[in-house]
Amino acid sequence: MSLHVSSVAIEDDRPLLDLLPHVPDALAWVRDGEGLVAWGVAARIEAGRGPDRFRRAGQALGWLADDSAVEDEVGLPGSGLIGIGSFTFDADADGSVLVVPRVVIGRRGGTTWRTDLTPPSATPAPPVASSPPVTTPTRPRYAGSSLPDVHWLEAVARAIARIDAGEADKVVLARDHAVWSHEPFDAIDLARRLTGRFPSCHTFVVEGLVGATPELLLSRSGRSVTSRVLAGTTARSADEVEDAALGAALLASEKDLVEHRFAADSVREVLAPQCADLAGEVGPRLLRLDNVQHLATTFRGHLDDPDTSALELVGALHPTAAVGGTPRQAALEMIRELEGMSRGRYAAPVGWTDAAGDGEWGIALRCAELAGARARLFAGVGVVAASLPEAELEETRLKLLAMQAAFGADPVR
Amino acid sequence: MSPPPPDEPLPADATATPPDETALDAPDAALAAAAVEDDAAVHDLDGLLAATGATRALLEAVERTGLLAPQQHPEDGSPRYSASDVAAVRAGMTLLDAGLPLGELLDLARRTDAAIQQIADHAVEAFLRFVRDPVRGTATSDEEAADRLITAYDRMLPATEQLVAHHLRRRLLTRAAERIAAELGGEHP
Repeated sequence: MSLHVSSVAIEDDRPLLDLLPHVPDALAWVRDGEGLVAWGVAARIEAGRGPDRFRRAGQALGWLADDSAVEDEVGLPGSGLIGIGSFTFDADADGSVLVVPRVVIGRRGGTTWRTDLTPPSATPAPPVASSPPVTTPTRPRYAGSSLPDVHWLEAVARAIARIDAGEADKVVLARDHAVWSHEPFDAIDLARRLTGRFPSCHTFVVEGLVGATPELLLSRSGRSVTSRVLAGTTARSADEVEDAALGAALLASEKDLVEHRFAADSVREVLAPQCADLAGEVGPRLLRLDNVQHLATTFRGHLDDPDTSALELVGALHPTAAVGGTPRQAALEMIRELEGMSRGRYAAPVGWTDAAGDGEWGIALRCAELAGARARLFAGVGVVAASLPEAELEETRLKLLAMQAAFGADPVR
Repeated sequence: MSPPPPDEPLPADATATPPDETALDAPDAALAAAAVEDDAAVHDLDGLLAATGATRALLEAVERTGLLAPQQHPEDGSPRYSASDVAAVRAGMTLLDAGLPLGELLDLARRTDAAIQQIADHAVEAFLRFVRDPVRGTATSDEEAADRLITAYDRMLPATEQLVAHHLRRRLLTRAAERIAAELGGEHP
């Protein structure tokens, strides 16, 4: 027998991220006070390379579950045996991983539970944190980019020329900021700051990848699936009238509507053959988040084949037009040729799955890859024929500044 | 007349748009004629690229932001760049080579432009009210007025440039010293 798994309801209403002990292998997937935090490693599934890495990881989790004894008194999404993971953007890159933790604390619909996943003859896992965490802002200092931004500007200009020449309709180009500090960056501390700043986003922590994403790539619960596409963005304003005007302008912006349609179509094309009853909203609606407003389309449907897992769908969806482009293959080729960096796990699926194939997956945008006292921050933009290189550069500059500011922002609870 | 070869400077006034004589009287017209960019615009875009090592994509982006404003060739209207444009682009390239990201450089340039525009308005207003108007009120002939105005302008422009440059340099050094001292005192050693 591989693991002994036991989920029981507990009484604890403290913020989930405050329950994490100070350990390097903390994991998190939280939003609006609910979700999962976890620590320790009961099993680590390295998914390898190739477009098949999503399905393989899910399959390996299934084998582990078949070989484990699971007692689940809770029966909510995320209880029982789960893996929390993140995948690489590039199918040819190493680093896609699904971690089966030793301890999970979950909360959903007001119920809090604890799952222990114990390998045979394992030493005890670290206990739940007993005291509130100490927060120490760690100022990130700039250390350079994979591609100097003046060359990135030229890459955007080349992408526009190639779009004009008919090679693709849209391509997403990203760039990175390497940062350093005197003290090691603390993933949980950053996660707490992000939840304070972006409470309606999913905040995630997976092996040093920390971020907050508003997008829901795919959630599956039994046969029912949901996907929320966000593409097309504008600012928010403290002034109510101006805020509404910004939103109205976004809903009327041809460039943003086209960009959004590419992203929504790329999700519809994958889900429609899987769900006969797939329904998307008519036209995007405005989703107002904490610091920006997006064009959003939510798809809902029921799987024709109940055995299709969340990870299989994630593998078919990735990369969507929101992180790759349209058409997909042409866009991926341009990214490889023009971007001048490895995306690692940026702009790729992050989330959790259980052995039955349920789970919730987002895309790791607005995130940082932490490694000791060093980190990499990322920002990307959708390039279309109407794009201007200097405007795209400015948009990534502002996104990178916002992410840097998040390191020092006060956590709010 | 065919366009001159790029390395042969045009006569200084060849690129200037002649002021509308009918709207101004003689001394003001003379002043307006003097107050134009007198730096010969000898380079076309390829010449500017060759002289600076910048890429076309970079210069096009900078031009769209309004930070590089070519003059127009009097014959065919094509953009023409002066030696001071070359010097400005080279200065920008020096900052990029030293590690300043382009996004930050453009942001600084936009801020500088916004601040300078206001100061320029005040400076022009001060010149007109406190230098031109007294000259116009005391000169005994149009010729004398024109002469005095052009002399004043020719002396004041470089003096103003020198003052602004001097002040900016002193501010930069002072602020940098204060900032570094604060980091040494307050933050990590």
